[in-house]
Amino acid sequence: MATSVTRAGSLDEAVELLARYGDDGAPLAGGTWIMRAWQRGERRKQHYVVLAGLHALCQIETGVGVRIGAMVTHEELGRSRAVSVPAISAVAEAARTSAFPAIRSVATVAGNICAEPFPEADLVPALLACEAEVEIVTVSGRSQQPLETMLQRRPRLPPGAMIEHVLLPTQANRISAYQRLAVRGGGEYAVVSVAVSLDLDQSGRVEAARVALGSVEERPRLSPGAAAALIGAPLTGDRGLQAGEAAAAECDARDGLDAPAWYRKAVLPALIRDTVERLAAGEAAG
Amino acid sequence: MTMHFTLNSRPVESEADGMRSLLSVLRDELMQRGAKPGCGEGRCGACTVLLDNKPVLACLLPLILAEGSEVRTVEGLAPPRGDLTPLQQALLDHGGLQCGACTPGVLMTLTALLEHTSAPSEHEVRKALSGNLCRCTGYESIVAATLSIGAAGAQQ
Repeated sequence: MATSVTRAGSLDEAVELLARYGDDGAPLAGGTWIMRAWQRGERRKQHYVVLAGLHALCQIETGVGVRIGAMVTHEELGRSRAVSVPAISAVAEAARTSAFPAIRSVATVAGNICAEPFPEADLVPALLACEAEVEIVTVSGRSQQPLETMLQRRPRLPPGAMIEHVLLPTQANRISAYQRLAVRGGGEYAVVSVAVSLDLDQSGRVEAARVALGSVEERPRLSPGAAAALIGAPLTGDRGLQAGEAAAAECDARDGLDAPAWYRKAVLPALIRDTVERLAAGEAAG
Repeated sequence: MTMHFTLNSRPVESEADGMRSLLSVLRDELMQRGAKPGCGEGRCGACTVLLDNKPVLACLLPLILAEGSEVRTVEGLAPPRGDLTPLQQALLDHGGLQCGACTPGVLMTLTALLEHTSAPSEHEVRKALSGNLCRCTGYESIVAATLSIGAAGAQQ
């Protein structure tokens, strides 16, 4: 049977169509993941609902924090002044360093979150470290939950549900950075990626910390051990290295064609150290 | 469902499945074979075209996402029997192409860069090229060609 592709005229129509199609349907954003279904041995869905043109999903708004529409692309995120503030600059850095221009111009924030399985997703660790929440819309209404919860409970959204916005807090005492290691400088998936977000007290000590790992395990996730190693200390490379060693000790790294598991674990401490040193030097993207 | 878009300033339409790749429609239906099928999985950049002036991979773009948009391919850079664009000429002058497989994608990527940033730095040129694999030139001559254009821009 031919695939049906429907351009949604409104968000309500998109959600209604997705609810009707159930497991046989999916939203279509930039298409870079769906068009590679064959590569993952997946069958295409029978129905796709095109979200392009829904302008409400393409906005980046500032208020209490920053609210990012589901259809905002990596390119738009990377050059947004609203996202290049210290509290969430990890997200801007992840957007700017992910893939390459011809992917960043179409790949969206919600697509990066919903792609599964996708250990190398760049935005997801940055969003996790920055305490992102997702606003999910269904035919019955909207709900909001931490991205971490969504990823733990539901690697995929249930049929008929879609992300409408990603919400990021922007506390004044928060700094963040993202760093990735790939087999060449650009254009490749990361072998390991790291996002670090820190809340500093007035003396510059770390009050609270979140460290997220990408590409190391099957899914990006926060590392409690790494965060604990940073809390209560001044920002130094040594402390960053300790945090990295704690992260490596508690992770179950994956083998891949790009890198074996042992390598991901071995390189992780240095990448976290470098990221912390960059934050200490005030070098994260602003 | 008929889909309409503009290809190199010319209105075109296609009855193809909306999930068919733009690359396949360009090459096999509209017979525009400048954009090259390289890896087919979004890694090599040989199929790079411009969609509303932004570089995209035609192999990963469903046709439906081109609907109503302006698509530009390497065929649209220089008129038939007309002068090459400064970027095309610079690539020739600097030996920035050998086998030619990557060249249409490289040209479209760099055209977008030069239209956005008239005098890019070497770093910006290399960052822009990060999604275009070239097995022949080692990139140096491509980068040199792009930098030689300077403020003149890709199009005149």
